[in-house]
Amino acid sequence: MDCDDCLEKLYAFLDKELGATERVEVAKHIADCGDCGGDFDFEARFLEIIRDCGTSDVAPAELRRRVAERLRSEAPPIL
Amino acid sequence: MAEDAFEKEALSYIDALYRTGLRMTRSEADAQDLVQETYVRALRFRAQFTPGTNLKAWLFRILTNTFINAYRKRSRAPETTELDDVDEFSLYRRMSADGSASSSPDPERQFLDGIVSSEVKEALQALPERFRATVLLDVEGFSYKEIAETLGIPIGTVMSRLHRGRKFLQQRLYDLARQRGIAALRAAAPRTE
Repeated sequence: MDCDDCLEKLYAFLDKELGATERVEVAKHIADCGDCGGDFDFEARFLEIIRDCGTSDVAPAELRRRVAERLRSEAPPIL
Repeated sequence: MAEDAFEKEALSYIDALYRTGLRMTRSEADAQDLVQETYVRALRFRAQFTPGTNLKAWLFRILTNTFINAYRKRSRAPETTELDDVDEFSLYRRMSADGSASSSPDPERQFLDGIVSSEVKEALQALPERFRATVLLDVEGFSYKEIAETLGIPIGTVMSRLHRGRKFLQQRLYDLARQRGIAALRAAAPRTE
């Protein structure tokens, strides 16, 4: 596997979407290649930051209350 | 699924649905309406949901379809201009290449450590609509296959949209960091300037 192949699979690798064989090939290349290793470290940290910051908002309490009430009121009766 | 398990599980996704709706509509009021409508429809069509299958994905499918049908046309904020070269943008490579001219020994690390939550949210909201939903579903932890099924697009399209969306986020956050005046980043200014 060369650097171009490796970088093409960068996101699929980080997203855990590669098959076992490709995953091993990419992991081996990253371990041996400083340039690609740097790319992967950077992208992995970047995605982690996006997920952490992107999932920190919560629904307003009033909205949650209204939805919970509707879900309760429209639940089918337990027979 | 027990009769009340559906309601309980459905409610557990309200935070994820709300923040996704917020980034789609770019308005808190519209996001609340969108989420309420999503639950109304989920209850109306709950007979179509197969217990034991993916309720989270089903709710997100209703959310995205409702958004497309009702909200997209009146989305308030103007569409962000898309960068033509977003595909080619590799922030890491650019910063590494320009690293010797930088005042910091590790500008990539400084950039990552300096990213603040409000800027990430702003960048997510600014994503071009063409790949915004794909990126938002990824942020909420869906697999490529689940995103493909939710949006009705091929997995290859999910991958290319994610790639472009992530590059867009990097470019945007990099621009915001530079506006904040991180000295180390000035040396690695985009060549388009």
